[in-house]
Amino acid sequence: MQNSDAPASNSVVSHTDTHNQNSDEYIETVKNCDFVQGSASSHGLACCRTCHNVAPVTLGHCPRCDDRLYLRKPNSIQRTLALIITAMLFYIPANIYPIMSTTLLGEATPSTIFSGVVLFLEHGSYFVAFVIFAASVLIPLAKMLVILWLCYTTARHSRLSRSELTKLYQITEFVGKWSMIDIFVVAILVALVQVTGIMMIEPGIAARAFAIVVILTMLAAHQFDVRLIWDKQER
Amino acid sequence: MKANSQIACHDCDLLIVVPEMADNHSLICPGCKTKQFTKYKNPLDYTIAFASAALIMLFLANSFPFLSFEAQGQSSTITIVEASYRLALEEFYLIAGLVYAFVILLPFIYLVSLLLLLLPIKLRKKPFKPIILGRIMSFFLPWIMAEVFIVGVLVALIKIIELADIILGFAFWAYIVFVICFTFTANVANRHQLWQWIDDAK
Repeated sequence: MQNSDAPASNSVVSHTDTHNQNSDEYIETVKNCDFVQGSASSHGLACCRTCHNVAPVTLGHCPRCDDRLYLRKPNSIQRTLALIITAMLFYIPANIYPIMSTTLLGEATPSTIFSGVVLFLEHGSYFVAFVIFAASVLIPLAKMLVILWLCYTTARHSRLSRSELTKLYQITEFVGKWSMIDIFVVAILVALVQVTGIMMIEPGIAARAFAIVVILTMLAAHQFDVRLIWDKQER
Repeated sequence: MKANSQIACHDCDLLIVVPEMADNHSLICPGCKTKQFTKYKNPLDYTIAFASAALIMLFLANSFPFLSFEAQGQSSTITIVEASYRLALEEFYLIAGLVYAFVILLPFIYLVSLLLLLLPIKLRKKPFKPIILGRIMSFFLPWIMAEVFIVGVLVALIKIIELADIILGFAFWAYIVFVICFTFTANVANRHQLWQWIDDAK
């Protein structure tokens, strides 16, 4: 192991960038710190999935949290692809079938995810239409395509740099749970508009399919190992 | 994190030697520029305070009416639990279970585990089964969707605001305060900090 040229004592402290919510102090970032050449795995060290502890992979189990140690998530690409393909299959009924059905004065109007967006556009509430469109159409679709593409780039050359691909993955992982908005909207509407007699809202089959899509894409993002992108060439 | 211990960047697997860090400083990976963790001042006290506040707010949010709906002289009031319970009545058990878990159950389990771990540490006693508590928290945290739920509620309100009068209940505000406290708790008790406590407590 050879240490890099920047010793820890000379760490450069950059400009302040995030504001601490709790006090008037600022959170500053430490950008230059000591690091060891080569990846942890090239030294036979594994980063524990549960507690992020660094330990020799030969131990088998993490000495801190007792989880199994792997240099990389096992069968990462295969599992991710399997989950994404399943999610894509579920995405079809999620868009075809009604996500909920509104009964007003005995007349039932089923609405799909997309017709909800169109409804808001017709009403002129563009912002809400955009939020729903982003959360329930754009994000799930973009997420599935981005993860598929990331799986592809682990094997092939990509025009984007590795940091850009990592950033892309981090965004995908972050936005994952925001697609659940649609399911929560259905849950609240169904519960709230129940027993008035004049109006009733019932959940539709697409809600089930869509919930499964969200869970599967989240699992797929968790299964994907970004470090595979960095493994392609040694630092 | 203790200075001079090694961590591996979770995203690019670079071995980083943790430098001496002042309070309120974040460590950025020199390889991929990802934030590793932030070192807060008095993390133990802050976490206990915010986690207890969040737990109390979650309790209040579950015991008071969440939203009321009034149309043509008829009204209905729901609590948070009913959002998932009514789905179960419609035989949508999967979504009902997911909504209940993501919004109430998992945050509750997370906060109770965190307090069970940290309160004994604060009182200089040995916590009960710290490793199991730590694994429960690390496993459930990515699945807690309290903040997503709030946005979902707002969108639902916009959808029906033209049809009826909506009254935001006490539980609604309690849940918003809960989300703020919870986000802060999860931020201070980040993975590195959490397992550092568990390591010291063993």
